[in-house]
Amino acid sequence: MRLLIQLIEALSVFLVIFYLYCRSPAFRPLKAEWPRPRGKVRLYLVFTGIAVLGNYLGIPVLEGEAIVNTRAVGATLAGLLGGPLLGFLVGATAGLHRVTALSGAAAFPGAVATTLEGLLGGLVHVALRRRPERLMTRRVAFATTFVGEIVHMAIVYFLTRPFGQGAEVVRIIAVPMILANPVGAALFMAVLNERQREHDRVAAASSARALKVAERTLGLMARGFGPEVAKELAAIVKEETGVGAVGVTDTERVLAWAGLGGDHHAPGGPIMSPFTRQSIAGNAVTFADGVHQSYDCRISPECPLNSVIVVPLQIDGAVLGTVQLFEPRDRRFLNMNRTLGEGIGALLSSQLLVTRYQEQKNLLLRAELKLVHAQVNPHFLFNALTTIMAVTRQDPARARELLGHLSNFFRKNLKRSGELSTLREELEHVSSYLEIEKARFQHRLVVETDVDASLLEMRLPTFTLQPLIENAIKHGLSAAVGTGTARIRAHRREGAAVIEIEDDAGAYTERGGGDGLGMKIVDQRIKQLLGPEYGVSVACVPDELTRVTVRLPIEGVRR
Amino acid sequence: MMRALIVDDELHPREELALLLAQTGEFELVGQAENGVEALAAIRRERPEVVFLDIRMPGVSGFDLLSMVDDDVMPQVVFVTAHDEFALRAFDEDAVDYLLKPVSPERLARTVERLKQRSAPSARPAFASAPITRIPCAGKRTIKLVNVSDIELVKSTLSGVYVVSGQGEYGTELTLQVLEARAGLLRCHKQYLVNAAAIDEVSLGDGSNATIRTRSGHSVPVSRRHLSRVRELLGI
Repeated sequence: MRLLIQLIEALSVFLVIFYLYCRSPAFRPLKAEWPRPRGKVRLYLVFTGIAVLGNYLGIPVLEGEAIVNTRAVGATLAGLLGGPLLGFLVGATAGLHRVTALSGAAAFPGAVATTLEGLLGGLVHVALRRRPERLMTRRVAFATTFVGEIVHMAIVYFLTRPFGQGAEVVRIIAVPMILANPVGAALFMAVLNERQREHDRVAAASSARALKVAERTLGLMARGFGPEVAKELAAIVKEETGVGAVGVTDTERVLAWAGLGGDHHAPGGPIMSPFTRQSIAGNAVTFADGVHQSYDCRISPECPLNSVIVVPLQIDGAVLGTVQLFEPRDRRFLNMNRTLGEGIGALLSSQLLVTRYQEQKNLLLRAELKLVHAQVNPHFLFNALTTIMAVTRQDPARARELLGHLSNFFRKNLKRSGELSTLREELEHVSSYLEIEKARFQHRLVVETDVDASLLEMRLPTFTLQPLIENAIKHGLSAAVGTGTARIRAHRREGAAVIEIEDDAGAYTERGGGDGLGMKIVDQRIKQLLGPEYGVSVACVPDELTRVTVRLPIEGVRR
Repeated sequence: MMRALIVDDELHPREELALLLAQTGEFELVGQAENGVEALAAIRRERPEVVFLDIRMPGVSGFDLLSMVDDDVMPQVVFVTAHDEFALRAFDEDAVDYLLKPVSPERLARTVERLKQRSAPSARPAFASAPITRIPCAGKRTIKLVNVSDIELVKSTLSGVYVVSGQGEYGTELTLQVLEARAGLLRCHKQYLVNAAAIDEVSLGDGSNATIRTRSGHSVPVSRRHLSRVRELLGI
């Protein structure tokens, strides 16, 4: 009984050492690393250390012929975690140590037994490999070690020479060792699991914080990367992560600073830190944790900051700038780690990419729109002038009226460079155009308009109606030999505002090539401003009608 | 005085041009047409020496129209359009002139000079030799364009020329000669053309006659004169 208590005391010392090891930076609770050669070597060293320590912390009995020990814990755990080979090696090494460094009659049998226990742990590992959640449990550690110790006793019993002394040894050591070792193994496993969970928790918390930052910067980054945005970005990152200070730089100077050291890390100053330069040059996260590597402020010796993560912001591999998280010297536990830095960097960078993409899409749309109008209007103008010249001869007053419509149309074309117009403005713009087309095509063109008056003040992207109506006239009605009717309707339907432009030529399917460009641009702009559920759709019954439907939210575009 | 036809789908430009032509004192206006079908009929009927032709028109463009005109009535051509992007093609292919809308009297005077320098067209202008792929037919309110590949046969009757497709029968202003030459249809009878791709069956009658049945079941007579050529082309 006294022996058991002594052994448990020894085991406790052990656990304390192991616990401290687990808390130290040397411990890598990365399961993913274990199967790799480096991880295996690490496991081997750690558990051999544990097993050898078990030798020294053991209690000699029978004048040192035998040692009541906890060597089995190291060997069995090594087998459980690393497989048969590792278990075998750890067991053999510890056994060899037992034989060479601490002699005794039971040394050799003990060594053989420990090797087998390591192997046993490895076999359990193989058996449960596919279900790691069951392998890494206290119960399995306990049971494996328990069985291992019984085998241990049998081997000692039979292999100890002179025969008979084995029985003596087993009588003394069996109960303490069979009880203490499994308990020890189970406790080790518990510590290990606890540490692993904690690590996961920290990683999850880092990811969560990175996501929180990303969520709040979503709209911000859409405005593009510059001093204004940098200032808000720094404030958001500081608030969400709780670090001592946050800096934002472009590739040359500091754009914004929030937190400690703001007195000397003023926006506008050049980049001084080698960490930042390294980060920009290598497009990689750099981390000075303040222990192995410290951040030394080059500007002020009074600067309280001594650890930093520098996160590059990049688009397509080109670094635009960095976000830097600092902690002061007196902060014991850092509010940041590499995972957090990498998370923030990846999320902000992808936001920048989306912004860049949107900008380019916008530019393209605007350029296309300009092109379409540049192409269409001259012909419209020449045709209109030809008509007006003819009308001038017969009806000068009517000609003056048409010139009025023409100048009105072009003035509106020029003025309407803004992004949004009301439906009323759109209809006015279109009506000038239609007046002239009606004069051109005479009886061949009939236009009917039916608009829900409550929708007139609704805002929609400028130039939504004009290209669609121009299409209807150009491809629908002017392509028809007889009379064509165009109907422009606006009404509410199923909670949305619907504008329909209909012609009765039904020639839509015969349109091809670039003729659909105007419509495509209108559709894209609406979708971009209002979302994918809105936009332009076309229905066509050949030779009967083409209906272009514009779907918008009732309230139009809100700004 | 040159006999002139104006073809434009818009009323005001037609009227304006008619007035400008009258002012030169060089033209006798024989008609105005507002689409391709009307224009073809007017060219055949009036045999104008010069046609002032809009390019962008519903259904049949100015270029299309020219490829459908019979050789023996082909007039000189002056294009009149608001679009300058066709100019190169028109000049490349031997148009007399190319007027941009709105037309000025001074510019028109130069056109008159050019027309006077030219004698009547000796050969078919190159721009008028494009193969015909769609045949304009008079629809109820529109010009119906029938794809040549959909056509099974074309027949000439007292009341005019009709193209017959699987969908129906449509009157056209094009002649059998033009369709044979430029739409790739096969002459099998003085009054019939057949689309070789639409032939379902050829039954040889007594003597040297034969009857073709098309895929929609229309019968087309094959005359003695054309039988050997039909046989040759079909490989029988």
